[in-house]
Amino acid sequence: MPPAIASSAVPRAAALPNRRQRPRVAPWLMPLILVLGLFYLYPVLDVFRLALTRATLLGGDEGYTVSTLTQTLARPELPGILGVTALFTLASVFSQQLLGLAIALVVVRGEKRRLFGTTIVRTTALIAWVVPGIAGGIIWKMLFNEAPFGGLNSILRLMGAAPVQWLSDPDLVMWSVVISNVWRGTAFSMVVMYAALKAIDPVLYEAAAVDGASAPQRLMHVTLPQLRSAILVNMILITIQTLNTFDAIISLTGGGPGRSTEVLSLYTFNVVFRNYDLAGGAVLSILMLVISLGLALVYAAFLPKGEDR
Amino acid sequence: MMTRSACRLSLAAVLAASVALPAMAQNTITGDTVGPANAPKTLTFRMTTDGPRNNDPDVAEGYGKLFREYVARHPGWKVELQMMSGDIGQEQARMLEQAKSGNAPDCAAVDSFVLPLFKKAGVLQSFSPYFKKEEIEQLFPFIREGITGTDGQIYAWWWSTDLRVLYRNKKVIAEAPQTWDDTRKAALASVKEGMEGILFNGGRFEGTTFDWLANFWAQGGKLVDDAGKPIFGEGENRAKFIKAVNYYRDLVESGAAPKRVATIGNYDDFNAAAAAGTTALFVGGNWQLAQLKSTLEAEDFANWTFSMLPGPTGAERSTGTGGWTVASLSKDPAKVEMCANLAREIYMGPANALQEQLPTRADLYDKYPVFATEANKAFAAALKVGQARPGAPVYPEISNQIQIMMGKVLTGSQPTEAAVDDAFKASMDAFKRL
Amino acid sequence: MSAKTRERIGDLFSYLFMLATFVFFAWPLLWLLSLALRTRKEVFLGVSRFIPKAPTLENFAMILSSDKFAGYLWNALKLSCLSALGCLIVALPAAYAFSRFRFRGKGAWMMALLSVQMISPLVIMVPLYRYMASIGLTDSHFGATMVYIALAVPMVTWILKGTIDGIPAALDEAAMIDGCNRLGVFLRVVLPLSTPGIASAFIISVIGGWSQFLVPFLLITKESLTPIGVGIFQYAGTQNDSSIQLLAAACLVSVVPAIVAFLALQRLILGALTAGAVKG
Repeated sequence: MPPAIASSAVPRAAALPNRRQRPRVAPWLMPLILVLGLFYLYPVLDVFRLALTRATLLGGDEGYTVSTLTQTLARPELPGILGVTALFTLASVFSQQLLGLAIALVVVRGEKRRLFGTTIVRTTALIAWVVPGIAGGIIWKMLFNEAPFGGLNSILRLMGAAPVQWLSDPDLVMWSVVISNVWRGTAFSMVVMYAALKAIDPVLYEAAAVDGASAPQRLMHVTLPQLRSAILVNMILITIQTLNTFDAIISLTGGGPGRSTEVLSLYTFNVVFRNYDLAGGAVLSILMLVISLGLALVYAAFLPKGEDR
Repeated sequence: MMTRSACRLSLAAVLAASVALPAMAQNTITGDTVGPANAPKTLTFRMTTDGPRNNDPDVAEGYGKLFREYVARHPGWKVELQMMSGDIGQEQARMLEQAKSGNAPDCAAVDSFVLPLFKKAGVLQSFSPYFKKEEIEQLFPFIREGITGTDGQIYAWWWSTDLRVLYRNKKVIAEAPQTWDDTRKAALASVKEGMEGILFNGGRFEGTTFDWLANFWAQGGKLVDDAGKPIFGEGENRAKFIKAVNYYRDLVESGAAPKRVATIGNYDDFNAAAAAGTTALFVGGNWQLAQLKSTLEAEDFANWTFSMLPGPTGAERSTGTGGWTVASLSKDPAKVEMCANLAREIYMGPANALQEQLPTRADLYDKYPVFATEANKAFAAALKVGQARPGAPVYPEISNQIQIMMGKVLTGSQPTEAAVDDAFKASMDAFKRL
Repeated sequence: MSAKTRERIGDLFSYLFMLATFVFFAWPLLWLLSLALRTRKEVFLGVSRFIPKAPTLENFAMILSSDKFAGYLWNALKLSCLSALGCLIVALPAAYAFSRFRFRGKGAWMMALLSVQMISPLVIMVPLYRYMASIGLTDSHFGATMVYIALAVPMVTWILKGTIDGIPAALDEAAMIDGCNRLGVFLRVVLPLSTPGIASAFIISVIGGWSQFLVPFLLITKESLTPIGVGIFQYAGTQNDSSIQLLAAACLVSVVPAIVAFLALQRLILGALTAGAVKG
C-alpha cells in the first residue's frame, strides 16, 4: 500500500490547533519572484510601454501615443486572422489533448499487460516533439506536396484514390496545418497525462475491480475524474503554447494561400519582422495575452473546487 | 532496455567521432578565427554559407584559401567569423538591434534587398573612400544605384547577382516561348503530353513576388515612386499590375499551370519536378542550371535549356535581379577599411569565380574563364533587362501583400481587381506607418 | 465473455492503436531519414524519391567530424540541463506554497504567473535583448540560462503544483506532528513523493530548453557558445546552395541526446512509483 493511504488514517483534527498558524508564504515564492523580476519583468513591462509608442525596429519616434493601439486593432485583416487563430487553436488543442491522453492510457495499459512496443510508440512521439521546427516544416511540406509524386498523394494514387489538394485548397489547408502541429505537439500532453495517470492511486482501481466495474466504467468513473485537474491544467498550458506557435505554419504554408493559415502569432511575426512595426507587434502581443488569459480563466472555472486550499 | 543502451552508444559515438576525426583539408577553416591568435586587431565578419562554412568541401576549401591569403596580406589583423541563419527577416532585425547596442559585427553579408533598410537605419558606414572611381563605374547601373545612398556615397559592395529565366525541356517544347501567349500555349501543349504544365512560385515566399515582378516591370510598371511611396495601385500602373496578375491567374484557370503553384515557395521544388519528369516548363533562377546538371542524368540534362522570361509582347521583357553585398557596421575607420578590403580581395571576383555566381561588373565576365561558357554568356545578356527590387523601406510589406494577393487570385477566392486593391491599400497603410 | 477474453480483445485494440500511432509519428521521421541519407545530387529530387538510389552516411560523417557540432551539442546540453535544474529549484518551493498555503489572491497570483508566458516571446525578445545588452549579459551562458528559466518556470510551477495537489495534505500534517518543520516536510515527504511529476517537469523543461531558438539566436553571437538549436542553421544553406541533406542529418543527430535524457528519466517516473509501493 502506498504511504498516501496508510497515513490518511491519522486524525486530521489533532494537527490543527497548534500547527495552523499562518505559514509565511514569502520565502517560498522568493526565488521565483527574484528570477522573473530580475530577468524577465523589465522586458514584459517594456512591451506595454512600446504598445503606447510608434517605435519601429529602425529606431524612430518614441513619443507616447494611443494611435498605435487604435490603428492596430482597427486593421481590416484582423478579424479574419482571429478567426483563423480560433480554428487552429481549437482544433490543435483538442486533438493534442485527446491523442495525448489516448496514447498515455494505452501505454500505461500496455506496460501493465507487458505488451510489446510501448516504449517504441512513446519514443517516436517524443522524437517528433524534439525534432527542430525547421525539420518538421521540411518533412510535412514533402508529405503534403501536391505534385503527382508528393508524399501522401503518391500513396493515394497507388491505392487508386484521387489526389487531395492538401495545401492549395483554402478550405482544406487549415486541417493539414493542424495535423502537422498535432504531430509535433502531442508528446507534451502525452508526458503530462502519463505522469498524471501514474500518480492515480492503484487502490481506487482495486476498489473498482472489487465492485466489478468494466474497463469503460473504470475509465469514466475512476480515471477521468482523477485526471480532471491534470487535463484542465494541460489544456491551459497547451492553449498558450498553441497560440504562440507559428514555426510549423511558417515553414509549411507561410500563412497562405492568401491568408488562410495566418494565425495571430504569425501575423505578429510579420508585423514585427516585415513591417518593422515594433509598437504594432507589442499591441498584438498584448491582444494575445488578453485572449490567453480569458481562455485560461474559462478553463480554470472548471477546476475542481477545493483547489484553493 | 535495448533502445536506451543503443542511444547511449550512439551518443558516445557522436562524441568520439567528433574528437577523433581530424580536419579534412589543410585550407579548411575550423575555428572561429582566421589569422594569428595574437594579432592585435580583430575584424568580426558575419557571413552566409558563401564563405568558409560552405557545405561543399571544395567551395569551403576555396574560401579558406582566400581568407588565409587575405589575412596574410594584412599583418596585425585576424578575422573572427560568425554565421548567420537563413531567415533574412530575423537576421536583419537582430543585426539592427545589435548595431543599436554596439554589438554588431564589424563587417557583414547583407542581402541586396534589405540594403535600403540598413541605409535608412543609418547603421552602415561609407565605402566610398576605399573603392576607386573606376571600380565603382564598372558596376552595372542597377547595382550602383542599389548601393548608393542619398548623399551619393556607396554603403556596401554588391558582389554577386542572380536573375530569373524560363527553363524548358526541348523535347517537349522545342521553341522558346517569347510572349505570355506563347507560354500558355506551350504549357497547355505539355499538359497534353501528360505533364503538370508550367510551374512557378506562388506561395507565401519572397520568390513569388520577385519572380512575378518581371511581368509587371516588362510593361514599364513601377511599384513605388521616387520618394518610396507605393504607386502600383493607381492609374496606369494599376492596369499594368492587374494585367500581369491576370497572366498568372489565366495560366492556372486554363489548366496551363497546376493548382499547386499556389503552394510552391521554394525553387528546389522545380528541380524535383524536372527530375521526376512531371514538368517541361518552369520559372527559375540562374543558379538552378548547375543544380539540374548535377541532379539529372546526362542524357536528360541535355534536353533542358533556358531562355529569357517571356513578356506581354516579344519586345517587352524584364527579369528580377538580386544578390548579396558586403557592408560595414563598424564605427572604427580602420575596420571599415578592412571590411572594404575583404569585399574587394575575396568577394569582388575570386568568390564569383569560385562559386560561379554572376559578377556585378561587366569586366569580370571576361577576366574569369568560367564565365565564358555559352550559358553564362546568355545569363549575362539577359542581365541587360535586369531590374532590382525597389530600394524602398516599404518593399518587404509590398512583397508580403503581393504574396497574399497571389494566393487569393491563384486559388480563385477573390477577383483580381479586388485583391490588387486590397494589397495596395495595405501597402499604403504600411507606408504611412513607417 | 470471460475476463480473459475481454483482456485479449483489449490487447488487440491496444496493438492496433499503437500501430496507428506509430505510423503517424514515424512516417514523417522516415522521410527525414531518407533526406539525411542522400547525396548532394539526389537531394534535389526532393519528394520524388523516397528510398535513395545511392544511400550514403557521408552527411552524418560530415556533421560528426565538424569541430563545431560537438560544441553545439555540449552547449545545448549545458544550457538546457542547467536551466531545467534551476527551473526546478525555483519552481518547487513556489509550487508547494501554491498547493499548501492559504493566502490572499492565490488564484490571481497563479494567473499572473502564467500570464508572463502568454505574451508573445517573439515581441518580448526585442526589449529583452536591449535589457540584457545593457546589463552586459549577452554572449554569456549565465544570461541565457536565466532567461530559459524565466521562460519555462511558470509552466513548470503549474505542473508541479498539480503533482503536489495529488499528495494528501494529511501526510504533511502527520509529519509535522512527528516534529518536522515546513522545510523538513517539503524536503523529506513532498519531494520524494512528487518524483514522477518532477521527472516529467524536468523532461519538459530540458526539451523546452533544447529547442530554444530565439533566445540564443539573439543573446549569443559567439560560435563557440552557440547551442544546437541555432547552430543547426549553419547547415540550412541558401537558395543556391541547397543542403537539406546535411540539415536533415544534423536534425536527427541533435535529437539523440534529448531522447537519451527522456529514456533515462522515464525510468525515474516508473522507479519512483514502484519504490513508493514497496515502502507502503
